[in-house]
Amino acid sequence: MNAAVANDALAPYGAAFEAVRATVGETAAAREQAFARFAELGFPAPRDEAWKYTSLRRLEARRFAFAGAGGAGPVDTPAVDALSSHRVTVVNGRVTDAALVRSAPLDGIRVRTLSQALEEGEPQGALLRVPTGGGTERFAALNAALSNDAVVIDVAASASVAEPLHVVIAAAGAEPTMIHPRLLIRAGAGSSARIVLHHVGTDSAEHFVNSYVDVEAAADAQLHLYRLQSQGARAFLIERIDATVGQRAAIVVHDAQLGASLSRLDLNARLAAPGAAAELTGLFLADDSRHLDAHVRVDHLAAGTRSLVDYRGIAAGRGRGVFNGKAVVHVDAQQSQARQTSRNLLLTPGAEIDTKPELEIYADDVQCSHGATTGQLDPAALFYLRSRGLDERQARSALTRAFAGAVLSRMDLASYSGAVHSILDARLERLLETTA
Amino acid sequence: MLSIRNLHARIGNRTILKGIDLEVRPGEVHAIMGPNGSGKSTLASVLAGRAGYEVTQGTVEYLGQDLLAMEPEERARAGVFLAFQYPVEIPGVNNAYLLKAALNAVRKQRGEPELDAFEFLALVRDKMKLMQMDESFLNRGVNEGFSGGEKKRNEILQMAVLEPKLALLDETDSGLDIDALRVVANGVNSLRGPERAIVMVTHYQRLLDYIEPDVVHVLSDGRILKSGDKSLALELEKRGYDWVRQEARVA
Repeated sequence: MNAAVANDALAPYGAAFEAVRATVGETAAAREQAFARFAELGFPAPRDEAWKYTSLRRLEARRFAFAGAGGAGPVDTPAVDALSSHRVTVVNGRVTDAALVRSAPLDGIRVRTLSQALEEGEPQGALLRVPTGGGTERFAALNAALSNDAVVIDVAASASVAEPLHVVIAAAGAEPTMIHPRLLIRAGAGSSARIVLHHVGTDSAEHFVNSYVDVEAAADAQLHLYRLQSQGARAFLIERIDATVGQRAAIVVHDAQLGASLSRLDLNARLAAPGAAAELTGLFLADDSRHLDAHVRVDHLAAGTRSLVDYRGIAAGRGRGVFNGKAVVHVDAQQSQARQTSRNLLLTPGAEIDTKPELEIYADDVQCSHGATTGQLDPAALFYLRSRGLDERQARSALTRAFAGAVLSRMDLASYSGAVHSILDARLERLLETTA
Repeated sequence: MLSIRNLHARIGNRTILKGIDLEVRPGEVHAIMGPNGSGKSTLASVLAGRAGYEVTQGTVEYLGQDLLAMEPEERARAGVFLAFQYPVEIPGVNNAYLLKAALNAVRKQRGEPELDAFEFLALVRDKMKLMQMDESFLNRGVNEGFSGGEKKRNEILQMAVLEPKLALLDETDSGLDIDALRVVANGVNSLRGPERAIVMVTHYQRLLDYIEPDVVHVLSDGRILKSGDKSLALELEKRGYDWVRQEARVA
């Protein structure tokens, strides 16, 4: 295996895999293949189009400890507000609340670990799937090779689960550690469920969280994912979410990117059968020297599919935001709708946001639109508010919140939107203090 | 209350105000009339503190303070209110929030306690009735999707809530039909009082049928050419502005 590790940057990952392979039992072959794929792809080359605005040089140079598939020692999990009374916690890649997992946490939702799913005869291929293509294929492969556990969430067919399931993905410990959390979410036919995907971590350590989330929504399913990325301030976070959406099914993703030092999200929705729909909205706040990159891609593969992508970004200080939105309407996707907007707000002169909406259309009877704007707060609106007695800081705050509010107001889960608001409010207050 | 002396202002290299002198006392209503491009709106903007204008000469004293040295919000808190010619639409900032934040900023300056939600709502409801505005406006974004007339009414509503000492109305009559004009004028008239001064900038005499001025000024090419009582406005309506300019040239 080491022969495939072409350069020094990959060597520690090779060593980690060597440590793992003996302990992974029956999945060894699948993992070996996955690692080979990672080794083949390596870290992105300097001119890799998928990483045009995001350099991984800093990540590449870091060395991380690896707990191995055998499991991490006990660590203090960062405190997390309960966004639901039904919670699954994954600390450093390992599910910690085994009791909760064994019993059904919620009527209609079943949660298992990787080993439980394997014991029950689930095929390895599904549990450790490696997707093809995209800038994060390498990391999804690395995840499949090194993941020390997985959370397998199944929503029963026709189940309608009102209470959200709160999945906490935590990076813990003082030593910089690489963590490969893995989630498989399957929404059965005709089901409806809400899942909160919550990244947390300590601000003190430089962890590397490389997460992979595989989502399948069967026919007529309604799946709502609420992502709250509040990873620790020094963390590297790479996450890939691949969602395959079946006939007349819909996936709705709300994404709030508020944490980490460097984060990249690849959110891919495949509208695979007629009438499938995706609504992907997000907000990122790239303040301090935070670098947040969102790549959102929707593939329309069947007739009458609909997608709406609406991301808003705020950057301040030396923060940098990247948004790449791509809708591909394939030849069989007649009478489909693809709408995409990216709006961005620069609060200070040193901040930067690069946005690139893309459309590829191979069907002729479709409705597609896209638009992207990047600007500062409207001086006319600022003056209007100040002329009514609001000071500059209040006026900037009101306009910034109004900008974010367009996305926040769609977040239809009170505990989640409350958590997003409180983080955002605190950060904006601090920001406006230093920029007004 | 307001004392403008030899005020010169420019935008970029273009000088717009070329020596304005104006004295406004408490209780007075002044109308500043003039053709398009005469500098009426610039004067209102400079008084409210809009960025982009450079005052090159002259002074403006408001209640004994140097108005030009104050930030826009300081002017507002000191009782200066500008009703905009083109009120800005601000989606996502709701009307109720703005009214409350503005009112509390002004009250704080006046040494009055902040209003609680109940007192605030009672006050605003009262003023909305005066402006014939539906309460649903409170929960909408500031001027968002408002018609021209609704925007102007909203301006006067804000003015009625904030009770300024000096109200500057910039072309408040423009774009209003006769019914809306009556409502707006009624709102302005309800604020007339011995402690308050109103300066209206307008192109047409029409507004003055509803809000009777004490003094009328003719502004042309950045200067006040003539001042008189309300009969001057009627004369302008009949004869246009050219005779004033000719008279000024002769003098």
